[in-house]
This record gives sequence, C-alpha cells and structure tokens, in this order.
Amino acid sequence: MKLIREIDYLLLAATIATVALGIIAIYSAAYHSDSQVVQIAWVKQARFAVIALLGSLVVMHMPNKLLYGLSYPFYGIALLSLLAVLLWGTGEDAARWLHVGPLRLQPSEFAKIASIIALARYLSDCSAEHVNQARHFVGTLMLCLIPMALVVRQPDLGTAISFTAPLLPMLYWAGMRRIYVFFVLSPLLSVAFSFEPLWQGAAPYLFAIFITGSSMAVHLILGRLLFTITIFLTNLASGLVTVYLWDHFLRPYQKDRIMTFLDPESDRLGTGWNIIQSKIAIGSGGLTGKGFLEGTQTKYEFLPAAHTDFIFSVVGEELGFIGALITLSLFFFLIARALYIGSVTNNRFYSLIAVGLGSMLAFHVFVNVGMTIGVMPVTGLPLPFLSSGGSSLLANLLAIGLLMHIFAYRHEY
Amino acid sequence: MDFSQRQDQRPSINGLFGIVALLFLILILRLFYLQITTSDDYARKSENNRITQKRMKAPRGLIVDRSGRILARNRPFYTVSLVRTSRKDYETTRQAFIEETGDTITDGAYSRRYRTIRLKRDVDFRTVSIVEERLKDAWPLLDIEIEAQRHYPFRESAAHLLGYMGIIRDEDRRSATDKAYMAGDFIGKTGLEKVYENELRGLDGVRYYEVDAGGRTRQEFTERDQLAEPGRELRLTIDIDLQLAAERALPDSLAGAAVALDAQTGAILAMANKPTFDPNIFVSFQAQKERQKVLQSETTLLNRAIRGRYPPGSTLKMIGAIAAVETGITDTLSTFAACVGSLQVGDVVFRCNNRSGHGELNLIEAIETSCNTYFHHLAQLMGIEIWREYAEKFGLGRPTGLVFEPGEYEGLLPSRQYYQERDGWTLGHLLNLIIGQGAMLATPIQMARYTAAIANGGNLVTPHLSGLSPSRQRIDGISESTLDIIRKAMHQVVYGPQGTGWRLAIDDIEVAGKSGTAQVPNRENNSNDAWFVAFAPYINPEIAVAVVVEGGGGGGSTAAPVAREIIEAFHTKRVHSEKLESRVDSTASYSLSQR
Repeated sequence: MKLIREIDYLLLAATIATVALGIIAIYSAAYHSDSQVVQIAWVKQARFAVIALLGSLVVMHMPNKLLYGLSYPFYGIALLSLLAVLLWGTGEDAARWLHVGPLRLQPSEFAKIASIIALARYLSDCSAEHVNQARHFVGTLMLCLIPMALVVRQPDLGTAISFTAPLLPMLYWAGMRRIYVFFVLSPLLSVAFSFEPLWQGAAPYLFAIFITGSSMAVHLILGRLLFTITIFLTNLASGLVTVYLWDHFLRPYQKDRIMTFLDPESDRLGTGWNIIQSKIAIGSGGLTGKGFLEGTQTKYEFLPAAHTDFIFSVVGEELGFIGALITLSLFFFLIARALYIGSVTNNRFYSLIAVGLGSMLAFHVFVNVGMTIGVMPVTGLPLPFLSSGGSSLLANLLAIGLLMHIFAYRHEY
Repeated sequence: MDFSQRQDQRPSINGLFGIVALLFLILILRLFYLQITTSDDYARKSENNRITQKRMKAPRGLIVDRSGRILARNRPFYTVSLVRTSRKDYETTRQAFIEETGDTITDGAYSRRYRTIRLKRDVDFRTVSIVEERLKDAWPLLDIEIEAQRHYPFRESAAHLLGYMGIIRDEDRRSATDKAYMAGDFIGKTGLEKVYENELRGLDGVRYYEVDAGGRTRQEFTERDQLAEPGRELRLTIDIDLQLAAERALPDSLAGAAVALDAQTGAILAMANKPTFDPNIFVSFQAQKERQKVLQSETTLLNRAIRGRYPPGSTLKMIGAIAAVETGITDTLSTFAACVGSLQVGDVVFRCNNRSGHGELNLIEAIETSCNTYFHHLAQLMGIEIWREYAEKFGLGRPTGLVFEPGEYEGLLPSRQYYQERDGWTLGHLLNLIIGQGAMLATPIQMARYTAAIANGGNLVTPHLSGLSPSRQRIDGISESTLDIIRKAMHQVVYGPQGTGWRLAIDDIEVAGKSGTAQVPNRENNSNDAWFVAFAPYINPEIAVAVVVEGGGGGGSTAAPVAREIIEAFHTKRVHSEKLESRVDSTASYSLSQR
C-alpha cells in the first residue's frame, strides 16, 4: 500500500515521544494529589492518546481531496458546536464543555482546526495576487473573528485570541506582500509601545518614534502617500485608544490582572501566586532538576493546575534545564516539520493547512511555556500534547493525522 | 474554484522558520536565565517557600446522656511530626530524634504521598521538651502538634452504643466527597460515632502563615484564616445511671443484653451488652495488644441488643393470648382440659414447663404460670395465619427502625410458606412458635418494643437514641380491654401466687412482666437462654425493658433480677428528680417573694 510507505515516520515518532513525555509529567504532577480523579489523570490521558493516535491514522488515510469539499461544512459544524456551548455548556469559571453522551468535549479545541481548514480553503480559492486585495483580507479576518467572538463569550480570552494566530502566517503563505503583513501587524505593536505600565514613563517617546519611523519606512518602500497616511493614522488611533481604554474603560480587576503579570510580587497570595510559584518551580529545577516525583513545588501544591496549564513547570522543576530543552526541542521539531511539509506540498489548499497548523502549534507553545516562565500573561491555554485534557489531545493528534495525510499526497496537485 | 490550485509562487518558508526560531530562542534564553543563571535564588526561594496553610482541626462534638453527663469527650495529646519533608530529611531527622529521646519505635514511615509525616503520636512531656529545647533548632522540620483524642470516661459502659473510632483508611479518605480528612485522621468506625460522623466532626478551619527556614512563624495572614467550626454536641436519650445499672446487673460470666425504652416514646434509656470492651483502646497508640484481642474475638464486638437473634421463649406468649382474645377463641373465664404436664397432638407429645401439670387454668393463670399446654390448646384453634398476623402487628420479624451502624437484624417470624419450603408444614410448628420456640427469632430491642406496645395501650414506637421522637404508630384491631387483660396477667406474673416473675417485685412501684426460658437448638451444653420482659409502673407505664442472658437458665431467676435493677434505678431517679423539681419550684417561689 502506497500510504504505508508514505507515512511521515519522523513526525509520528516525535509526536509519540511528546505525548509519552506528557503522560509521565501528568503522572508526576498528580501523584501527590488528594483527589483520586486527579491521581488517575495520566491513565485517562494515556487512554485518550491511544484512541486519538488511531483516529489520526484514520484521518491520514481519508481519500485525497475529500477535505476540500468538507472544509466549509466542518467550519459550520464548529460554529454550531460553539453556539451550543454558549447555550448548554458547563465548566467551573467559564462554560467550555459540552456533554455528548458519556463524553465531555471542549468544542473550541476542534474549532481551531476547522477554522484553519476554512481559512486554507478561502485562501486557496483566490490567487496570490487577489490575496492582497482588501476585501479578501476582510473575508479571512471574518473567518477568524466569528469563532473568536463565540469563544470570548464563554469567556475564554486565551483560546479566543488563538483563533487569530494562524491568520498572518497563512496570509503570508498565500502570497500577501510582506509590507501588508506589517501593516496588519503594526497596530498591535502600537498598542504595545503606547502601553504606559510596560515602559515606565518612556511610552510616549517610544510610541512617537514607532509611528513616525514605521510610516517613513513604509513610504520609502512603497512610495504611496495614501497608504502611508493610512498606516500612520491607524497606528496613531490604536495607540490613543489603548491609553483611553486603560484610563477609562478597563475595570480595576482587569487592570490588576495585567499589572500582576508585569509585577507578580505586587499580589503574592492572589493573582501573582501562579506566576511566582511556577517561576520558583522552574528556576529551582536548575540544570538537572530535582528528580522524578521529587519536585517540592509540585508535591506541596504550591504549583497550581500542575497537571493541566502548568505542566511545563513540573517538567522544569523535576527534569531541570535539560528536560525543558528536550521538551522544547520536540516542539520545535514538530513545528518545523509542519512548516516543512507546507513548503514541499504542491497543492495550495494542503500547503496552507500545514502552515496554519504549524503556526497554531507555535502560538500555543510560546504562550503556554512563556506563561510558566513569566514572559507571557496567564491565559489558561493548554500546552499541546502535554497538558492533561482529552479534547486538546484529541484535536492535536487529529492535526498530526492531517499533516501525515498532507505529507502522503505532497507531490500531487 | 477547485481543489487543484497549485502553490506556485512560493514565498520563502525561511521567514516563518525564522520567526519560530526567534520565539524559541526567547523561551530558551529565559529558561537559561531562570534555571542556570539565577537558579540558586529560586532554589532558596523554593526551600523557603513556606507560606503554608495549616489545617485547624475542628473539635469533635461531645456525646452526652439525657441529663448532659459526658459519655465521649476529647483529650489533647502531643504528636511529633515532620513538616514537608523529603526522604533524606526524614531519615536524618528520625535518627536524631531516636538518639535524643532513646525512643526507638516511631509510627510514621516516609511516604512521598504525604506532606506531613507524624513521626510519633501521643508522646509524653519529656519527649515534647526534648524536641522543643534540644532538637528543634538543628532540625527545623520537626514540629509539635497538639491533636485531640477521643476519650470515653465511662470506659466499658455503653461501648457498643457509642461505637469506636479508628484511623481512616486511605480509600475512605479519598472517596470522601469534600477532602475533609487527612491521612492519620480518626473517623467513627461503628456505633453512634459512625452514624453521626458528619455532625460530630464539625468543619475544619485553615490558617495561613509563613515560616522561615528556622521554623519560626514570620508572618501570619489572619485575614485569610477560616475558623474551625466545632462539631455538634450529640445529646442522647440514654440515661447513664440506667445504663450502668443494667451493665452491673447483667452477669459478667455470661453473654447477654438488656434494652430499656421509654414505653411511650420509644426513646432508648439503656442499651447494655455483655461482654463489652473499652472503646478507648481503639484510639490509643499504646493499646495495640488489647485492640487485637477485641478485634479477634468474634463475640465481644457483637451488639447483642440489636444484632443478637434469639428464640424469645415464653416472653412471646402474649402474642398468642392477644390473638385469642381478639378473635374470640377464648376469654378470661374459659378453660381448656386440665394441664397434666404434657399434651399429645397427633404422634407428638408436647411437654409443659411443669412436668406434673398446672391443672385447669384460665388465660390469666396460664400466663401467670407460663403454662405451655394452655397455649398448645390455643394454637390448635387458631392456626398460623392468625397468630402470625398478631405477631406482625407488634413489629416482630422486621427491623424496628433504629438508625444504627452496624444495623439491627430483623429476626425471623416464620410463615406457613417458610416451613413448606423446608421440611414441610405441620401444626406442631405453630405449637412451638406460640411459646416462642421453633424457628422463631427476635432481637432484644424487638422484644422491648413489643413490651412497650402492650404497656402503652397498643402503640408501636420507633426506638431512637437522640433527637425528637418519631411519631408512634397505632396498632389496628387491638382493643384496650384486651390489653388490660394482658397487662393484668403480666402483673400476676410478678405478684400472683404461682407467678414465675416474683423476683421482679420492687418496693414502692408496681411492675409487670413475663419470663421466658428458651431452648436453643444445637447448643452444645443444652443450656437455656433466660429472658425477661417487663414494664413499670403498672398503671400508666413509663418504661419497658427486655433482658436476655445467654445460657442463663430460667428467665425468672436469671433475667428478672436484671430487669428489676434497671426499673429500680429508673424509679429511684424518678423519685429523686420529683423531689428536686419540687425544691426548684420552692426556690423559684422564694426568689419571687423576695422581689
């Protein structure tokens, strides 16, 4: 059979290694828990992993071109399931889960993949030149914003933002000019530069330098006055709105969240607790770690959500810098492999999906690991393949199956 | 549009690679900074990470008797524990502890699972001072914890009733819904301690504080503290004086049980068992040997009062008598052929308890003398269905509704079908059943409840140990005049010239009762169980008692004195409290007049 020979064994091996590492980390994280449900979380994860791996092989073997026709229907089902979560969803602090028979699913995890497929379909349907047209940009933006809006309502801000993560890489891969990519990206940078608490007094200068500098650079490259003015005004507006929102719109607790991220010590027992304890866990791990099952931060429950969102901290504490490097290397390989598959695939639709999945994975790893070491705010995004959680694992392994499918058909148009 | 769009004008993938590599570089640099450059800082922080929560155990609720005397209380004791230890720390600290105190036996073994390991529980003051003065500076993980141990001041008294506590099993701890228990905690295992576990245990509190590496509390976060809510006090219907009287009266050499009920409400006044045990040994850290002995004995832990199944013998005869009067089979004047000491029915000869015969008797005399032959005549006229209907009305053959752990047995009230399924039905079975023999089995509490129903004019009570009395249930189809006859007969048992229960007689209070001497099938030495049921006072009864002594022989000689001791204690208290009340009244009026 052709497909057996075409299995991407490297990708499969790296995936299995990552999942195995995750199960071991979950075992350790939950070992000291008082709750029996938590203690056997690793069993659940392992069981899910086996089922999901089989599922990914099924995905790999689906008929070529089938997905193209199904891309929008999938997207529609994803939106409906997100709507269903809003109506009937359950969860502790946010309604994230949907009960389907005996299963408890988190539809947003699957919606991420569905929206990447829909984006790929939309972008593959317009040629490289057309991608640069404003109306197509708006079209792709809408494909991201609709599921995002539904997830924000749960409310789950971290997951909602992750829907936009593959947008720019996919637009770039579909042929959007780099200058336009920068145009889309620049308001975000304006927000960052105008945000006073981040720069302690230097913000106005930094912001001024950024908007004038970037506008001048764009003008030198493109030489179109209208475009230059547009980018200047857009950036100015985003900066001013940031200042206005911070001063007049955000509630005190929302400001606290952000301030705590910047200075966790300001609220040691409250919101800052997670970040402080996670940093202590990872930092105290040193080069080689404290040893399997011997992490005191984990054992004495200083570390919150150790087996879910902060699973990387457990790895960092017990296996040290070396363990953390191995974990990150595995992730880097998975992401690079996805991008590589994208670059060698002839079919535009498939190629775009591969790049989208790769960038989605990169976003999750950076935001989650960044959170545990204090370079990103606490958002509650899981670490793919490692965090305990059936839906996330299933969705990510199905994505791997999809990548293997694409790899198998990479030579076909 | 179709699927086969080509990705022709490929932008460089290197740009995307570059960005991903940059992101990972940020992560790795940060990790390097945390884990290599400043790792020592974090290692120290981790070591000093002692903002910790400490549970404040809620004091367990007391158990008191009806007048507030304490039956179960809490006694503080000291425990040496190791707080948040690792295997290495545990070994070295334990070694130091053993060297200093000379105490080679420690309780808690190291386990990765537990945060705090209790090295030695219930230590003496010498050990406490050694730990505090000599060890704690060098071994900051050592901690002296004050724990509370259940203490039962009346020791062996009411032991089956109160139950005992023991260290919670791991699986129970984990299955507890609300994380209420920690490893090594005590939990009610049987009896009232188990039934009322949730009410008694209260709600534990939490204290947040920070301690430095020297073990000294550096900072407290009192605003976050949650105070412990003490457990609720459990007030019982038991009167400890009656309980003690019952336990004193039951012979030490024989197994037995006694139950005393408030005849009107069903409140249990005393529930005694022999042999008994001291529940203190179950919470003691020194009494392992005694504990093993009790646990290995098959009969010591048996709560005979509600779980002992006995043939009730002649104490059951009132059922047949009531059925006969109610259905018109006999009246107080009618007699049968004179009792000659035995009666032949078919091929079988049924013996009377008096081998030389009672002569011609009416119903009241038959109960007074406990004549079997009279009841054998009744049985032949009655049939099992009628007899059984009346036995059921008095709650025999089913649980009384007492809430307890482990729960009561329902005894056995055989039916015609019961015999048909085994070796076949003959009338002879009913002749045995009507005198409380054959397959009939009852628990002492069932017999006390049946006696109470006769005494209170036909109301079936629900025996209970605390709280409000459950509503009692009127027995249908039994007239007050019938019960009058029965009570009169039971009065004659004590005061009649041929009465079998004359040992029950007490000065100052009129009593009534019925003896029983039950043959126990398959018992090795052929000894009989002694039974006595009684109520008092004869007019307006207040207390109903059932006593059984295994292998005690004659009910009138062995069980009646036990019932008498209980009723006498009850009566003495009643007179005493009436005097007390009148004195209180007079002081009240005195103080009023002072105003």
